[in-house]
Amino acid sequence: MSDSVLIVGGGIAGITAALNVADYGRHVYLVDDTPSIGGTMARLDKTFPTNDCSICIEAPKMYEVNTHPNIEILTNTEIRKVTQTDDGFTIRLLKKAKYVDEEKCTACGKCVEACPVSVPDEIDGKIGGTRKLISVAFPQAVPNKNYLDIRCRNGSMRSEGACIGECVVDCSQCRECPIAHCVKACNNEGKFAVVLWQKDENIDIDVQSVIVATGIKSHEPPEGLYGYDVFPNVITYMHFERLMNAGGPTEGDIIRPSDKQHPHRIAWIQCVDRGDKGLPYCSKVCCMVAAKQTIITKEHDPSAECTVFYNNMTSYGKGFEEFYQKASGLGVRYIIGRPFDVTEDPETHNLTLRYEDIINGTIVEEEFDLVVLSSGLEPNDRNKRVAKTLKIDVDERTGFFTEPDPLFSPLETATPGVFLCGGATSPIDISESVVQATAASMKAVARRVRVAEEVAV
Amino acid sequence: MTEERMDAADAPESAMPESAASEAAAPEATEAGAEVSPASTAHSAGAAANPAASAAPAAGASAPAGASDDPRVGVFVCDCGTNIAATVDCPSVTEYAAGLGDVVFAEEGKWICSVDYLTRIQQAVKENDLNRAVVACCTPRTHEKLFKNTVGAAGMNPYQLEFVSIREQVSWVHKADKAVATDKAKDLVKMGVAKARLLEEGEEIRLPVKTDCLVIGGGAAGMTAAIAVADQGYVVRLVEKQDVLGGLLKDVNTVAPKGVPAAEVVERLVAQVVASENIEVLTSTEITALAGYIGNYTVDVSRVGVPGTFDASTIIVTTGMRELDATGHYGHGTGDDVITQLDLERRLKAGEPLGAKNVVIVQCVRSRNEERGCCHIGCTVALKNALEIKQRDPEANVYLLYKDLITVKDEYAHMKEILKAGVKTVRFSDARPPEVTRGADGRAAVTVHDVLLGAELTLPADLVVLTVGFEGDETVPHLRGLLKVSANEDGFFTESHVKLGPLDFAAAGVYLAGSARSPKPLRDVREEALGAAMRASIPMTKGHVQAEGIVATVDLTDCSQCGLCWKNCPFGAIEEIDKNPHILEALCKGCGLCAADCPKECIQIVHYGDAQIAAQIEAALEDKPEEKIIAFVCHWCALGAVDIAGVGRSEYPANARIIRVMCSARVAQKYVLDCYDRGAAGVLVAGCEFPTCHYITGNYKCSDRLVRLRKKMEKKGYDTSRLWEVWLSASMGPKWVATMKEMTEVLGLVPACKS
Ligand SMILES: Cc1cc2nc3c(=O)[nH]c(=O)nc-3n(C[C@H](O)[C@H](O)[C@H](O)COP(=O)(O)OP(=O)(O)OC[C@H]3O[C@@H](n4cnc5c(N)ncnc54)[C@H](O)[C@@H]3O)c2cc1C
Ligand SMILES: Cc1cc2nc3c(=O)[nH]c(=O)nc-3n(C[C@H](O)[C@H](O)[C@H](O)COP(=O)(O)OP(=O)(O)OC[C@H]3O[C@@H](n4cnc5c(N)ncnc54)[C@H](O)[C@@H]3O)c2cc1C
Ligand code: SF4
Ligand code: SF4
Ligand code: SF4
Repeated sequence: MSDSVLIVGGGIAGITAALNVADYGRHVYLVDDTPSIGGTMARLDKTFPTNDCSICIEAPKMYEVNTHPNIEILTNTEIRKVTQTDDGFTIRLLKKAKYVDEEKCTACGKCVEACPVSVPDEIDGKIGGTRKLISVAFPQAVPNKNYLDIRCRNGSMRSEGACIGECVVDCSQCRECPIAHCVKACNNEGKFAVVLWQKDENIDIDVQSVIVATGIKSHEPPEGLYGYDVFPNVITYMHFERLMNAGGPTEGDIIRPSDKQHPHRIAWIQCVDRGDKGLPYCSKVCCMVAAKQTIITKEHDPSAECTVFYNNMTSYGKGFEEFYQKASGLGVRYIIGRPFDVTEDPETHNLTLRYEDIINGTIVEEEFDLVVLSSGLEPNDRNKRVAKTLKIDVDERTGFFTEPDPLFSPLETATPGVFLCGGATSPIDISESVVQATAASMKAVARRVRVAEEVAV
Repeated sequence: MTEERMDAADAPESAMPESAASEAAAPEATEAGAEVSPASTAHSAGAAANPAASAAPAAGASAPAGASDDPRVGVFVCDCGTNIAATVDCPSVTEYAAGLGDVVFAEEGKWICSVDYLTRIQQAVKENDLNRAVVACCTPRTHEKLFKNTVGAAGMNPYQLEFVSIREQVSWVHKADKAVATDKAKDLVKMGVAKARLLEEGEEIRLPVKTDCLVIGGGAAGMTAAIAVADQGYVVRLVEKQDVLGGLLKDVNTVAPKGVPAAEVVERLVAQVVASENIEVLTSTEITALAGYIGNYTVDVSRVGVPGTFDASTIIVTTGMRELDATGHYGHGTGDDVITQLDLERRLKAGEPLGAKNVVIVQCVRSRNEERGCCHIGCTVALKNALEIKQRDPEANVYLLYKDLITVKDEYAHMKEILKAGVKTVRFSDARPPEVTRGADGRAAVTVHDVLLGAELTLPADLVVLTVGFEGDETVPHLRGLLKVSANEDGFFTESHVKLGPLDFAAAGVYLAGSARSPKPLRDVREEALGAAMRASIPMTKGHVQAEGIVATVDLTDCSQCGLCWKNCPFGAIEEIDKNPHILEALCKGCGLCAADCPKECIQIVHYGDAQIAAQIEAALEDKPEEKIIAFVCHWCALGAVDIAGVGRSEYPANARIIRVMCSARVAQKYVLDCYDRGAAGVLVAGCEFPTCHYITGNYKCSDRLVRLRKKMEKKGYDTSRLWEVWLSASMGPKWVATMKEMTEVLGLVPACKS
């Protein structure tokens, strides 16, 4: 009987669960369907409520995972088929090709230098971030190996001039593209690590239990809401986070998209797209994220004028209220209510917000250089599929996984032996994700008989 | 204290990458392999690309020949394809290395981390009887463990390997001038060899841990944790000072958001506790004394006045919280019509009719002010009870006076139901808080300014319910002393790291959960309790805690018993025995704080000893010290930033020679002075950006020390403008580059590499 544990999702929740289970002495398969573990936290700048640098505290954990003798990391990997056995599960994983041999790649970056195609980055694209078709996910990525964007191999980029030169072969037919710059560069280095003919691979594993840690995603507001996707200087709080980040597309320079100038008057609008049509819940972290972002903006430039339009200050956690007070103390203006609309001056691309000053009962129009939409957290878009595979449920209304009995059997699902933690359960912050991950790991290593009996622990 | 010692040489063997070993043994003709040109195959197969050195001991060997620990150093210089070799003249570096003291073997490899070259390293270790190794390649932050495991598996003590970073610190950042880059690489290798010669053997240190756990506090958290630990077959002693288990829940009516009766929760938990043969419940019991450390605590208790003693290996603290005293706030204490939420819960639970037609609930009493933050559960509790009152008496007028209503997760849906039921909400602000007044008839009324309506309201009140904030248990000041942990002003315990170590204390062996950490709803309390049970179960299941070999050692000869070291150690790793420090090596994290601050220089850190660091300084400043900056860089964030600058291929002046320390707290004052005395152009101390520190507050301690040092230096006439410091996050490559540029410019140095 296998006493291994499968962890689906390599964000901070999955990482924490993996380290706990592995330290407990069990074998762990840590699966992420992106090229690197790290999740959302790897892209954040500082973290509330202490303003610790996010990657500084996460990277050592990633390293620990990477070197732990009990942990096997499988990135670019999906769970495909789950069969329940008497004492656990047999699971088929699909390790999708990265077109780079991880044993050979040294992340030297020669291929990246050579690749002529830059595409907008998934996360940073709207604020000018680009990456090559072959790249590392981010500098601290684990595994620290390059991967080739599938769009390249499919040849769909050829019309855009991707595969260069005289090649007449469809990239997808190409076994070892002799003219592909990346292949050539890597071969010149003598590494022979780019393998365009690499295939997806099925891996079958037996485990005792599964921890689902598929996390959250920053919600994209619908086009046009407060001018999003229409006016260049209306961005989301995730974009702003990336602008602040020394590892982001601007190396931490807070500039606005239209003219790359430092914005001076910045407005945050909270609870954007919250409601029955958008996100039918409070995303919990946005108030503190806004407080963090204003504090850091003030640190970069004390003269910056920060205004936050909010409804209810969600300062529910340890040290949160103090953090909010710190922002107010620095001169951040907090205004109750959501603005009615945003208009843009087509010349300057400055934005005018119309809102009600509820204290004086007047309607105010005020101009800003940059508008940041705190658009909330939503469940991962792959959750439905995971739910189907593992025979667990997602809440129709919110999209997060559900627990049949959250009070007596927290983190348990409809399938005994499958547990939840982190953003998979609800909008959540890092600290709570870590707590849940540790709790889920307790359940995952617990004696199987207890799990079957569904005893409330 | 009993410590098991493991032979470190074979400890990590299991961690040796299996693939590396097996694949190397039977090199498969992979498809790629077949395409490799003969020349590069030979190269990557680890054939000595430049066997500059043979077994002949080089000049300058100091240790007497024949001594068992005669240093025999092997140096492995990596080309990293062209990544290093295109900028640094690797053959010349290898030749240079071969001429350094005690170096008996030096070789250049095309990729020294490749599977085949790792085998080559092991072969070289065996054939040349190497007992020290220096690898000159990428960065220890990604590759150190790999090389340590590799030499370890070949029979060398893995702690006698020194890592030199000539890619991130040289070839990637000084492309502009190959000669300068090569010189710097040579310097770094020389420093590495100088240190390697002095490296002592290290070993993994273990401290045994048995399977007995003490849980302090028998509320929901304590019971949940006890059940989870006991379930694994471990012994639990659950100590509760009251005469029954249950804690706060005993008085709570129903549990929001689902409305489960609290009594049912208590019943179910108590039933499980009682049913478990591994849990010994000690009610009416107080902890009177506690001594020891993980695996070895002795607990003295008083049970209904009768003393008792038992041992424990781990401790889970779940002492809960209590309502703050509301006397004097909003008329509390002026009549029994002003009560707290807990009073209300008791009444609702007892099923008494409230006899109040007008109920006014006031939120954030004694919270969200200068004194303290949000009470975390007040909104949930108030909404729950407002609805309950409405449901029991639909005629009742219920007003909820709030500042912000925090309704996350399920509470958001709940909230709609409450508003539908007709609970009236009034938002007030701190500028004009509500006031409770009494009319001539003694009846209470609440006046409040509604900020949303912009109107002043006066609400008659038959019952005023105050949602009061919380504080930790009254025993917390006593307990924190016994446990040597900290707590905040409100008596909530302080975790080791709010985000990544929420259930741990800095000292291993003690864990916390539930409302003893901060107020929270029941569900979160139970999650924390399960988590804390896991944290405590890990060492108990493993049977030990262990430390890597980088630990403090103390020589008592000159010790003046000042006590600085055991007071300062953030991890409680120094025990005081008869006024003398005693290092609990298994608990030591090797930060070096104690060593750097010991006035008598009694403490050394394995691998980061005074002699080793002095040797690095000396080697770095042997030639042209006036052009060089010595940079003490912490292994975590600061070196991370240096690496990011490398990954970003940012050019910067090549004047700095980096000496890696685990924590900036290791940088003793004398190191800085040594650099000055040897004529260094400048000294830079680089640590983690505040408030982050891998060792909790090492960077703060270092920065305080630098303040003291500057004062001292000024008195003695040193030029303190040459001593710099920079605090970096792991993504601040650009800031490292900027610091390097600025420092060379301000110090008027010829940048040894233009950008
Ligand atoms: C802009 C922004 C700022 C924030 N700031 C803070 C802050 O300052 N402080 C704080 O405490 N919190 C903050 N948060 C919240 C924080 O990011 C989350 O609490 C945390 O990332 C949750 O961790 P997680 O591991 O549950 O999920 P994630 O970090 O989202 O990780 C989930 C992982 O699972 C993988 N995955 C998903 N689906 C699958 C699948 N089907 N198969 C395999 N793998 C899968 C994903 O690729 C990802 O790697 C912020 C969030 C945002 C958006
Ligand atoms: C009025 C009110 C209403 C609530 N309503 C809800 C709700 O609707 N939904 C919800 O989810 N949560 C609610 N809660 C919160 C919930 O009750 C608590 O989170 C939970 O009960 C806390 O459990 P605990 O074990 O952490 O602490 P506690 O219940 O406080 O237990 C701590 C125990 O430790 C004991 N102890 C303390 N010090 C020592 C010592 N030195 N030695 C030995 N024993 C010690 C105490 O006597 C106590 O028994 C409510 C709380 C209150 C006050
Ligand atoms: S060139 Fe080859 S070895 Fe270098 S990063 Fe790219 S794939 Fe990896
Ligand atoms: S195959 Fe061509 S387009 Fe694709 S990454 Fe390589 S060089 Fe770029
Ligand atoms: S080196 Fe650090 S952790 Fe170790 S005993 Fe000294 S102060 Fe404590």
